[in-house]
Amino acid sequence: MAEAAPAEGLAAAAWLLIALPMAGAAVLLLAGRRADRWGHLLGCATVLAAFLLGVLITVDVAGLPERSAAVELFTFIATGSLDVRAGLLVDPLSLAFVLLITGVGSLIHVYSVGYMAHDPGRRRFFGYLNLFVAAMLLLVLGDSFVALYVGWEGVGLASYLLIAFWYRRPAAATAAKKAFIMNRVGDVGLALAIFVMFAQLGTTSFEGVFGSVEALAGGTLTALGLLLLLGACGKSGQFPLQSWLPDAMEGPTPVSALIHAATMVTAGVYLIARAAPIYDQTPTARAAVLAVGALTLMIGAIAGCAYDDIKKVLAWSTVSQIGYMFLAVGLGPVGYAAGLAHLLTHGFFKAGLFLGAGSVMHAMGDQVDMRRFGGLARKVPITFVTFGLGYLALIGFPFLSGYFTKDAIIEAALDRGDTWGLVLGGVAILGAGLTAFYMTRLMLLTFAGKARWTDDQHPHESPPVMTVPMILLAVGSVGAGFVLVSVAPLADWLEPVFGEPAEPEHVIAPALVAAVVTAVAAAGVVAAWLFVGRREVPLTAPARVSPVTRAARNALYADTVNESLFMRPGQWLTRALVWVDNRGVDGAVNGLAAAFGGSSSRLGRAQTGFVRTYALGMLGGAVVVAGALLAVTAG
Amino acid sequence: MTLTWYLVLAAILFTIGAAGVLVRRNAIVVFMCVELMLNSVNLTLVTFARATGTLDGQVMAFFVMVVAAAEVVVGLAIIMSIYRTRRSASVDDANLLKY
Amino acid sequence: MGDITAPDLSLAALAPLLFVFGAACVGVLVEAFGPRGNRQPVQLAVALVGTLGGLVSVLLLAGRGEVTAGGALAVDGAALFLQAVIAGLGALSILLFAERALDPARSAFVTSAAVPVGSPRDREQAMSPRVQTEVYPLATFAIGGMMLFAASNDLLIMFVALEVLSLPLYLISGMARRRRLLSQEAAVKYFLLGAFASGFFLYGLALVYGATGSIRLSDVRAYAAVGGADVLLVLGLALLVVGLMFKASVAPFHTWTPDVYQGAPTPVTAFMAACTKVAAFAAVLRLLYVAFGTSEWTWRPLVYGIAIVSMVVGAVLGLTQTDLKRMLAYSSIAHAGFLLVGVIALGAGSDGGGSGLSSTMFYLLAYGLTTLGAFAVLTLVRDGDGEATHLSQWAGLAQRSPLTAAIMGIFLLALAGIPLTSGFTGKFAVFRAAIEDGAWPLVLVAVLASAVAAFFYVRVIVLMYFSAPAEEGPTVGVPGLPTTIALAVTVTATLVLGVAPGPVLDLAQRAAIFVG
Repeated sequence: MAEAAPAEGLAAAAWLLIALPMAGAAVLLLAGRRADRWGHLLGCATVLAAFLLGVLITVDVAGLPERSAAVELFTFIATGSLDVRAGLLVDPLSLAFVLLITGVGSLIHVYSVGYMAHDPGRRRFFGYLNLFVAAMLLLVLGDSFVALYVGWEGVGLASYLLIAFWYRRPAAATAAKKAFIMNRVGDVGLALAIFVMFAQLGTTSFEGVFGSVEALAGGTLTALGLLLLLGACGKSGQFPLQSWLPDAMEGPTPVSALIHAATMVTAGVYLIARAAPIYDQTPTARAAVLAVGALTLMIGAIAGCAYDDIKKVLAWSTVSQIGYMFLAVGLGPVGYAAGLAHLLTHGFFKAGLFLGAGSVMHAMGDQVDMRRFGGLARKVPITFVTFGLGYLALIGFPFLSGYFTKDAIIEAALDRGDTWGLVLGGVAILGAGLTAFYMTRLMLLTFAGKARWTDDQHPHESPPVMTVPMILLAVGSVGAGFVLVSVAPLADWLEPVFGEPAEPEHVIAPALVAAVVTAVAAAGVVAAWLFVGRREVPLTAPARVSPVTRAARNALYADTVNESLFMRPGQWLTRALVWVDNRGVDGAVNGLAAAFGGSSSRLGRAQTGFVRTYALGMLGGAVVVAGALLAVTAG
Repeated sequence: MTLTWYLVLAAILFTIGAAGVLVRRNAIVVFMCVELMLNSVNLTLVTFARATGTLDGQVMAFFVMVVAAAEVVVGLAIIMSIYRTRRSASVDDANLLKY
Repeated sequence: MGDITAPDLSLAALAPLLFVFGAACVGVLVEAFGPRGNRQPVQLAVALVGTLGGLVSVLLLAGRGEVTAGGALAVDGAALFLQAVIAGLGALSILLFAERALDPARSAFVTSAAVPVGSPRDREQAMSPRVQTEVYPLATFAIGGMMLFAASNDLLIMFVALEVLSLPLYLISGMARRRRLLSQEAAVKYFLLGAFASGFFLYGLALVYGATGSIRLSDVRAYAAVGGADVLLVLGLALLVVGLMFKASVAPFHTWTPDVYQGAPTPVTAFMAACTKVAAFAAVLRLLYVAFGTSEWTWRPLVYGIAIVSMVVGAVLGLTQTDLKRMLAYSSIAHAGFLLVGVIALGAGSDGGGSGLSSTMFYLLAYGLTTLGAFAVLTLVRDGDGEATHLSQWAGLAQRSPLTAAIMGIFLLALAGIPLTSGFTGKFAVFRAAIEDGAWPLVLVAVLASAVAAFFYVRVIVLMYFSAPAEEGPTVGVPGLPTTIALAVTVTATLVLGVAPGPVLDLAQRAAIFVG
């Protein structure tokens, strides 16, 4: 990693990137009803300004020889051995994310003006969105793991607030709770990793940690890698913590587009890419990343085939595509650029797809069941075209975004040259076929065929404030891949971070790979046509289905597995230990909560309210204390 | 006769006091048991003062007595107030706050 | 018989204590002779002058390090820092006592505690606007006792201070105006168990005296350094620790905490949760670092163990609480465990340099302010029968009163240790110190426990923001000036210590010196 020079010129103003949306959030959330009339405009303006500033900084930094700059902000804690400084690191990796976050973020803010026009809580919504953008920028710009962690918690909070935005719906509240718990599991991993760094290295700054990585023992490095991976899995909805992400679709659709498709959920990929120097030293942890990526991409693709809720299909698709990114960054130096390129193009087309889905829902009175759509292509032409371009980009239609970036990942996997490379490449190709299948199914159910609307629906195209962002994102979906791979290769731009891009040694000729992938995807499209397009679509999901379909409908039993892994044993344990029935434990979402809740109410019974019981407890404690001390002294 | 016997006696008194706190229900008796614990400490202090040949232990015993007297004042006031409300001085009856 | 020589006595070094105890004595005189009509403002003024005077004189003493009063008191950096914390938190608590706008009967305290609950006279006094003022001198005495506790360099003084701070607390926790049965029960439980625990402390004192022939902490240290640890000394240490851990509400000596916190009048609970915790840990630090700092290996495994028990018990039991005061009580138990994580990190020993002492001191300040603020918010939300502390009553509070919910949210996030609040900085500092000292398994447990505990804090936030408000829910009172000041100070401090804790951490670092 190149040494970052102290920032001069525009880069020194990088703190403004975070401060602008933060100020927006503060004004929107504190000003109260007074800001209702102009609040959304302020929300858009701050993010747009941050985007423009981001572009200027990028141009500025691109001219520097080492293409990175360090911004010293302030000393957070500096006493004796404790020394935590807050600073920003402006380098190609963080800038790529800054542009994605603010660019896609601006478009989605603009879109939301239309989407939330009739919602009484629109000002609050923009406040949360601004808060999210600020936290996300802090996450990618921070120059230490602690700064990253602060941003990490911040985006978690914003995501939580936004999932539960319509908190009167019980499903939204439950989904928010689930997202919170699963994210906490991941956060504990990240927090522990930070403590390990402190304990072993005495610093958490990227520069300090990566500079002394080689001094660490192998076991510590592997532990660090696995803990970071756990954090990444929580935030990015990767196996085994994937099931919160589809539920998070209870939030407003722009939120799904911005947070749960384009930016926040990719934070895990950012974390692993950023920690590349650690993973470079630990093959075990890297293999775990690979395994998680490959497994999740299959889980996501299979589950995506079975849902009828348009947003859930897109959510599982996100899970699956992030699996691709994990796979790529798990491959090591050959995969970083490919994974990040896919991340950026995915940001475009998945945001576009979600906005399109939002537009469809807007047209259909918030209906999300695809069995109730059909024949919408004529009614909402702009949405149809932009959504269609996003769809083509996602399934890897030749020369659109996904074609370039997904193929690059598959090639990188195959280039490993060993059996594992073949297996991973095969999984990725199979995933591409499934992707083509479920996305074609979605397209056919939504836009083609006969109208299956309920009586009171009168589909209409969305206002320009919503369609213009969709058009811009569609343009990005078409062109971004080509630009990032051929015109201005991302790999070269990221060179100061990951080093010289290695000249790939192809095991299988790229043209052949491209042909195979395209053929498999085409097979997926055809299969979807055969299964879905030709036939009449029943209005309710058929009940008599094969076990595979049933498994897929249940998201491969992720919740059931979670339940039986954590919740059941927790309950059995509690029951076995107690004579008290633990009916008091409310239907906990999470099994751990059930186990803790059980032990909590059981332990709580010891608090009998009798003074004499308390005195007995104290006496017992005193005896134990005295005994322990005597034992220590004697022993 | 060695001083050890005084220490043992004090320890026994302390234990009786502690056990009394656990087994007696009447708040006044519980409180008396606590006082017994404090007085066993006084005996210990005086014994150690004798053993080490310093006066400190005896002075400390005076301090303990004064503090115990203050504690009696506060304690009886509290026990009286709850007795007047509940017409019972049993510590087991005061059992509204739990779990 | 030799001549009696008067012990050296530095009045300057004693000034903070003299100020506070002086104010308490004046308060007693006012109570006895002052005219009833304007007793409340006079008492409030006396108490505030005493505590703030104590605070100012502590600040003027900053940088001193001496042993005075014949060796019984150590006026050093750590003592002064913690005395300042106690005096400051004490003044804020007294402001909470003085709130008159919230309760229709103008005070949280009963007019005449001797009147039996439920009697005709009780019903009469429940409605009378007469305000009782004994609570001010009592609280001032308790604050003085706590400040003495933090500076005691001698086990006997420590015992006397322990009683001086405890006896008034026993009384004022029984003086609630509403739900008097609960309040009286809390007082009885606190008193009986407190007396029981001080019996242990005293026996420990006697054993240490027997083993070393002295109760001066420095003498104990010298003895332990050369003589190692004989059975008497170790037993004495164990019993002293039990007595102190009781006051600090560390599990397994925590059982009184939930009951007493719930039953006592809420301003008193705030006072106990903030000030008593600081004072108890001040004594724990002094005992373990000064007297037993050289025989660290004897108590280290023990403190390790009870820290884990305390964190786990607090975090796990907090999960199923439905009463907010009780939930905060379990939170206080868990925080006692986190504080012990800092205590473990003895570092370079009592002569300073170790980050354990300074980080624990910072944590005490941060936790004291936050918990005081949280209890202060509880006094605002009321229904017909006093404060509405049941969790279900807080549903949808954000819609009734966004400001109250936001302030409570900040305190809860700080208690959960979310970044940019003082709670995070404090936890970060103590965990860091413990890791430096090699206690990483303990920190692992602590991180897990705080993740579990975060669940119940956040549950309250979720309830306030994402639930439909209950029909006939509680009302949110508009606080008068005293509570407003206390809330403003605590919120500001919670945020400032989270965003820019540098100067205060620095101060704690420089103050982390024990003499004696």
